[in-house]
Amino acid sequence: MATKTVAFEIKRQANPDAPAVWEKFELEWRPGMNVVSAMMEIAANPVTADGRQTTPVTYDSNCLEEICGSCAMRINGKARMACSALIDNLEQPIRLEPLSKFPLVRDLQVDRSVLFENLKAVKAWVPVDGTYDLGSGPRVFPQQQEVNYPLSNCISCTCCMEVCPQFNEETGFVGAATIAQVKLFNNHPTGAVLKEERLRALAGDGGIQECGFAQNCVEACPKQIPLTKAISDVGRDVLVQKAKDWLRG
Amino acid sequence: MATVQQPAAHTVRRGVQPLRAGQGTSFIWRKLHSLLGIVPIGAFLLEHLLSNFEALKGPAAYGAQVKFLNSLPLVRVLEWVFIFLPILYHAGYGVYIWLRGKSNVVYYPWAGNWMYVAQRYTGLIAFVYILQHVIRQRFMGISLPENPYAAFAKVQHELANPWILAFYVIAMIAICWHFAYGVWLFAAKWGITPGVTARKRFGYVCAVLGVVLAVGGLASIWAFVGGKYPNAPENVPVSSLTVPANAGGVSI
Repeated sequence: MATKTVAFEIKRQANPDAPAVWEKFELEWRPGMNVVSAMMEIAANPVTADGRQTTPVTYDSNCLEEICGSCAMRINGKARMACSALIDNLEQPIRLEPLSKFPLVRDLQVDRSVLFENLKAVKAWVPVDGTYDLGSGPRVFPQQQEVNYPLSNCISCTCCMEVCPQFNEETGFVGAATIAQVKLFNNHPTGAVLKEERLRALAGDGGIQECGFAQNCVEACPKQIPLTKAISDVGRDVLVQKAKDWLRG
Repeated sequence: MATVQQPAAHTVRRGVQPLRAGQGTSFIWRKLHSLLGIVPIGAFLLEHLLSNFEALKGPAAYGAQVKFLNSLPLVRVLEWVFIFLPILYHAGYGVYIWLRGKSNVVYYPWAGNWMYVAQRYTGLIAFVYILQHVIRQRFMGISLPENPYAAFAKVQHELANPWILAFYVIAMIAICWHFAYGVWLFAAKWGITPGVTARKRFGYVCAVLGVVLAVGGLASIWAFVGGKYPNAPENVPVSSLTVPANAGGVSI
């Protein structure tokens, strides 16, 4: 009985300045295998399809259940999570490339710290640190919780930024994920203390105005976060905040 | 000695720069671009398409409409402040927006992504069209502000060239598309229609708006080339316009 195999083409790059090369791999098919498990197999036996010894493929991953956001990459041209990309659902050869909008570290690993910087720039947190016990926070009604919960599902995978035509070095656009987190933390009764600062931050260069509403973000989001709704809501809030600032200033 | 190694503060060196929180003026320029597309440019488009409809009633009615518009107070100021300058800014900044975007519709052929691209191409068609339209119809040939009743013949002569006619038809569709989707984008981005269902419903409204405007616009182009008013007089004689008291109207 002939063994069923799975063909991969992986874009390799030893370091940010090294030339990119494509390597082909062929693995034995296993039931339920996904892109991350396939790369684990390559790591266990890093030999290309033409029998040449190579290095294990470098990539980010952690939870393997689409909850940590680490393993985003371009699979057959589209940004998505490698752990939830089941081999049986993919056209072969399966082409793996690193995300294109972030500085490359090695192979499929990129530096996505721009998202972390953006979250810091909009103060995406609830400020409760202090020198004494603040007591319990205000009550959040279930209706509000229903709105907030999907936003809290963001795993910082940066797929929304990768697929966005406006997220690039020319615009320095902040991206959908950060805008959705602004909505989440502005909705929080204690987090709302920083609401005005967050909205003013988002009106800076590279802010929410750079959105072109191509809506790729919401299509690509592996967590089905209502990103376009967040952009629309926050867009209105930023505008109202700016108008207030101009009239009161 | 157990010393805690402090990790070096991480700075992004390569790639997309982080948000310049609260800095710069791009917000106001981008929002101005967005608003100008609705008022005055969109409002003017509606006025222009409605005025064009007078052409269906013939050269005299069309000339009367041109005369009326040119009799508005401070009309030369109005046309620069509410038409020419806003369109120049909207177009210039629009090209700037286009150049800074990085279309990826090849990899992500989704409806919204196609519309994103279409909005840029229709905008460019609109701008090229409007430039030649204003130069040739407003600033070249017989001056319509002084000779409003020459308007019908001037347009008819222009449309006698099949290439120009084709350009007018394409531009009419492109402009109505650009405006209708622009209204939809405005509602989405200014937070008027945040909900998915609301955006979908408003999408139908805008689609109907766009189709109605395009069909109406094409109908008024038909008025010039359809043969109902062939060889319109260069300048509708004033004598034929003097309507006797109690007369029902005049037809030329």
